[in-house]
Amino acid sequence: MARAFSELIVGGVLFAPFVTYLLTALVVIIVLRPLLHVVGFAKMFSHTAIAELSLYVAILGLLILLF
Amino acid sequence: MVAKIAEQPFTVANIPLDSWSFAIRVWLAMILALFVSFWLQLEAPATAAVSVGIIAEPTRGQALDKAGFRLLGTVVGVTASIAITGLFSQTRDLILAAFAVWIGICVFAANVLDGYRAYAAVLSGYTVGLIAIQQIDNPQHVFESGVARGAAIVVGILSMAVVSTLMSAPDRQPRLMVQLAAIRRRVREYACATSHEASGNSTTFVTLLREIVALRPEISSVALESSSGSVRSVAARSAVVGLVAELQAARISQRRDVEIEASAWAARELLRRDEEVRQDLLALRSARWPLRAWRAPLNRSYKNAAESGVRAVIWFAIAATFYTWAGWSAASASLFLVALITGLGATTPNPRGFTVGTLVGAPIAIALTGILEFIILNGADAFPVLAIAMAPFMIGAAVLMKSQSPLWSSLGRVNLMFIPVILAPSNPQTYNPQSFLFTSFFLVAAAALLLASQTLIPPVSNDKRRMRLLADARKELQEPATHQNGEAPEEAMFRDASRIGQFLAAGGAQDSRALAEMLACFDQAAMLRLCDAKLMQLAEGPLAPLADEARAAIVKRDAVALRSIALRLRQPSPPKDSIEADVAACLVLTSDILDRGGGVDSPREAS
Repeated sequence: MARAFSELIVGGVLFAPFVTYLLTALVVIIVLRPLLHVVGFAKMFSHTAIAELSLYVAILGLLILLF
Repeated sequence: MVAKIAEQPFTVANIPLDSWSFAIRVWLAMILALFVSFWLQLEAPATAAVSVGIIAEPTRGQALDKAGFRLLGTVVGVTASIAITGLFSQTRDLILAAFAVWIGICVFAANVLDGYRAYAAVLSGYTVGLIAIQQIDNPQHVFESGVARGAAIVVGILSMAVVSTLMSAPDRQPRLMVQLAAIRRRVREYACATSHEASGNSTTFVTLLREIVALRPEISSVALESSSGSVRSVAARSAVVGLVAELQAARISQRRDVEIEASAWAARELLRRDEEVRQDLLALRSARWPLRAWRAPLNRSYKNAAESGVRAVIWFAIAATFYTWAGWSAASASLFLVALITGLGATTPNPRGFTVGTLVGAPIAIALTGILEFIILNGADAFPVLAIAMAPFMIGAAVLMKSQSPLWSSLGRVNLMFIPVILAPSNPQTYNPQSFLFTSFFLVAAAALLLASQTLIPPVSNDKRRMRLLADARKELQEPATHQNGEAPEEAMFRDASRIGQFLAAGGAQDSRALAEMLACFDQAAMLRLCDAKLMQLAEGPLAPLADEARAAIVKRDAVALRSIALRLRQPSPPKDSIEADVAACLVLTSDILDRGGGVDSPREAS
């Protein structure tokens, strides 16, 4: 069954629903950053950058799946 | 043996491996950006490729930092375009005048900022040229064109971010740590050398100061590198400010002919500063908050910036008048390029040199693009062919950009930026020789016209810049030592150091007299502020009246009174490292510096 995604409308300009998810995931990552620092996320992985990108993709996927 | 291997990086064809990997990353990111833009059918796919060329920085943090500021600058620029088009609709000359003023404002902002912030300022200036001026005949398209550009830039930034993450682009932070540790070692060596040799080596001092201040814009890039980046950035900033304070303490401790207590205090102060920097470096290494977070304020020379802004307005007005008078319908594209070169030149110490560089680099970029478009591609319409054909040009330009020589490096950057601009990849590619010729002609014409205006009205001369900086330093010294907006003495010291950095960037190393006065002002201001901060510690206790008296003497720059107050502080013979003894030593050193530096009332031969 197809899911209906609502479009983001800013001042009459329509944005693709995916843009909303991209931005929301970015906001979630920014909010999570202090927490990740406390947990020591950066020290857990040899390639921190890839780990953080993967976390972003995981959050993006979850957002699309759940909302 | 091991050290020898570590010093020599692995090279391919005499070029270090990290230059190659950087170049391949840039090429891949550009191809990815083009592919995504074609796939999404964006209106301005070339902008995505150009964005990658512009944010091509060797480390991930720097690229992301510049990308963020590019986005911010574009948003401001598009907003300004809409405002200017809306206010002066149907009036061509007023639009051009408003644009000239806007360019001036942006150049002013670029001159009071540094690093990628300055770039964002000029970008918001020339974005107006790209959007409002190129659409001067059909203003209803301004918004669409702004959105198209914004979307293309976002695609370019995301491509660069993904490619540098997946290909493990190096982080700035490990290298920053090595640089800071090396500077700390050299500061200690400087302190040891000065305590052995009587003559202070101010060349070493100035070199170290310049190197420390030059790290400032790069520190904020560290914040974007990982989730611990912002903490590391704060620690690095504190370390940089601490290093300036340590350097200054080393300079104070070199004074041989002061009394023994004062000299002992100076040595203790140096050790304390060194320990603080060590703690900050440890915090940077282990991503902890430093003991105290210092800001690193930048000296802002508003007069120099305003004059640069006014001159940029005049250059642009001359070019706009010429194009209006010539009456070419396609001249708006060239006018945009005038704004682009003016803006980017404002972020370099020598704007006219930048224009000359563009005038030399542009024909090379044009020739290379001609070869790429009409000999190699020549009508090809398959994407893989475009990707392969672009490889040697983009990789070559990026390798050049990483070169040590400034000439080759700037040539590489110009090519990395202008090849995608002139090629203007689109789907389908038009292969129109006429538009290629027009773009090339307008690029060269814009650089030549700007150079002509800059010859007619030269940029603010280095002499004038230096004189203003020196006057600022003197003026600040004359004002009583006040805590401006809660600035710690160390932070104010860093601001003064950044002023010396600007002074050196304006050719200050040759002007030894003015440099000596600049350093004298730096020493006095730093010592007066430290003294004031020390006196604050006495403000609560029984010695408060004496502290007030000392403060009044500082305001009057009365060295004799300071010495007598120091004597009175030592009357009850306090223990060696009590606050009173520290303050007394500080006062003695201050009075010594006031005596020897000649103070602000010394003959002003340097000007």
